[in-house]
Amino acid sequence: MSGVINHQQALIKREVWEHRSIWITPAAVAFVVTFIAIAAVVMVAAFGEAINPEIERIADATLPDAMRRAALAVFLLGNTTVFMFAMWFLLIFYCLDALYAERKDRSILFWRSLPITDAETAISKLLTAVLAIPLATMAGVIISHLLNLVIMSIWLSTEGVNPIRFIWAAVPLFDTWTAVLIFLVAMPIWMAPLLGWLLFISAWAKRGPLLRAVLPIAILPFLEYIIFKTWHLGKAIVARLGPEQMPIFDIFEFAERFDEDNLHDVLAENVSLLSMLDIGKFLTSFEVWAGVIVCGLFVTAAIYVRRYRDDT
Amino acid sequence: MTSLVTASNVSKHFKDVRAVDDVSFEIEKGKIMGLFGPNGAGKTTLLKAMLGLTDCEGQLSVLGLDPFKQRKELMRNICFIADVAVLPGWIKVTQLLDFVEATHPNFSRSSAEEFLSRTKVRKDAKVRELSKGMVTQLHLSIIMAIDAKLLVLDEPTLGLDIIFRKEFYSNLLSDYFDGERTILITTHQVEEIENLMTDIMFINDGRILLDSSMDALPETYVELMTSGEDANKARQLGPVYERDVFGKKVMTFVGKNKEQLAEFGECHTPSVADLFVAMVKGAAA
Repeated sequence: MSGVINHQQALIKREVWEHRSIWITPAAVAFVVTFIAIAAVVMVAAFGEAINPEIERIADATLPDAMRRAALAVFLLGNTTVFMFAMWFLLIFYCLDALYAERKDRSILFWRSLPITDAETAISKLLTAVLAIPLATMAGVIISHLLNLVIMSIWLSTEGVNPIRFIWAAVPLFDTWTAVLIFLVAMPIWMAPLLGWLLFISAWAKRGPLLRAVLPIAILPFLEYIIFKTWHLGKAIVARLGPEQMPIFDIFEFAERFDEDNLHDVLAENVSLLSMLDIGKFLTSFEVWAGVIVCGLFVTAAIYVRRYRDDT
Repeated sequence: MTSLVTASNVSKHFKDVRAVDDVSFEIEKGKIMGLFGPNGAGKTTLLKAMLGLTDCEGQLSVLGLDPFKQRKELMRNICFIADVAVLPGWIKVTQLLDFVEATHPNFSRSSAEEFLSRTKVRKDAKVRELSKGMVTQLHLSIIMAIDAKLLVLDEPTLGLDIIFRKEFYSNLLSDYFDGERTILITTHQVEEIENLMTDIMFINDGRILLDSSMDALPETYVELMTSGEDANKARQLGPVYERDVFGKKVMTFVGKNKEQLAEFGECHTPSVADLFVAMVKGAAA
């Protein structure tokens, strides 16, 4: 058992070495987001214009604590959305490349000369998508949040406002980070059938994996419609393309609660992102587990292709 | 002597082509076996079958294992260099050592570092920054630091200059081969390993043309240099191959009486390269 874990650690480490975008992407996003925050602060200082209404609101001494807390949570969440978007691209392109690059540069012959099974290798690539990419993204989120809060603190200090009280005592960091981490790990699990499909294509395609991955999922729903006049497959595919339909919360309800009209009500309570996530609903969802099984089938197919097809 | 590799009636065909055709042989422990064949002769297919990279018909046992079904166990005790280009370009030398150390139970990192310290390979360099020769040195350093029972080298020196090639084989002999280990090499540069091999095998059109120890070669294979009337008489004895050298006839005989042949001209043992040409062309005629 410990051998299996050691192998997986070494294999996942190898993926991070090879696919440097796994940590460069969140680092770049953190850099850009922080740069924008600095620019916003400088703009406010230079022109006296309020670029970021959240910062204005936070600095308002008359604001109730609950609302300040909520405003900070909304600010952090807005910041996090950029990371989620980047992670989506990362997941898609990583899975598409994971079992393709080693065949393109023929390094597969070296990897296969070591006592590691094809199943171990394919599973390490899946684990990289489901664990390493969300964790690297989470690290980027944490760094960016801290940097942004520090910049806000410096700005508030120059305005004569006490940042300890207005930011650090108010910001629901732990709650937000826990919620973000759950979301980031749940996202690839929800997208698992798509990621499994991409891993299979990356093991199978002799060239042009992107085209070979996209064409079937673009064409098959139309075939279904022509033959059966139904859109089941199309709807299933669209659902798994991103996190919007994830059965962990109702994103529309979520957005509605933060709508300008309702904002006051929400902000009056002690807002908690974590309390808006329903982990039980996610873990007991039939759709989630059905997706995991579909992913398992695709990954098994990828293992078989790597194991039994001789294309060196 | 124990056999590390036993093949009996091994075949592999792709659609209509029989890449390996009913081949039987053994490789004994402690041997350095050279495997030669023209392009497309079935060498690589045979090696792949032995390494469990492809399946085959017939009985094939490597280190007592079924290579295709028991690949992971096999790879603990077997090493192979497929050719020089297979180390990934993105990896750093230290990362490569880390990875092999974590995944190979028989790898000695200190030996690998010791081998590397004798080369110009920098440990913080990426593979893609190294010259072709250095990549081979790196690969060899790793392979030699693995305590494996069988080492398979498929065209290990392809594309390297003569200095690296010589060095490669001298390192292999001095640092790796200890009489306990077994090496199987394929190469086009037959001359370079002629003095290194203990055993030799020729393969053509998926069949074995020759399977012999180097020591036994002079007893069986004779090259006769002759001309004129003697050549006609010698030809009656059925040479497998005949060629012209400076107006003289050079004939290759298999299993003929040397003294009898000596009556027609000058006899000597053919070089492996000449023998190879004679056997391949002779088989085609």
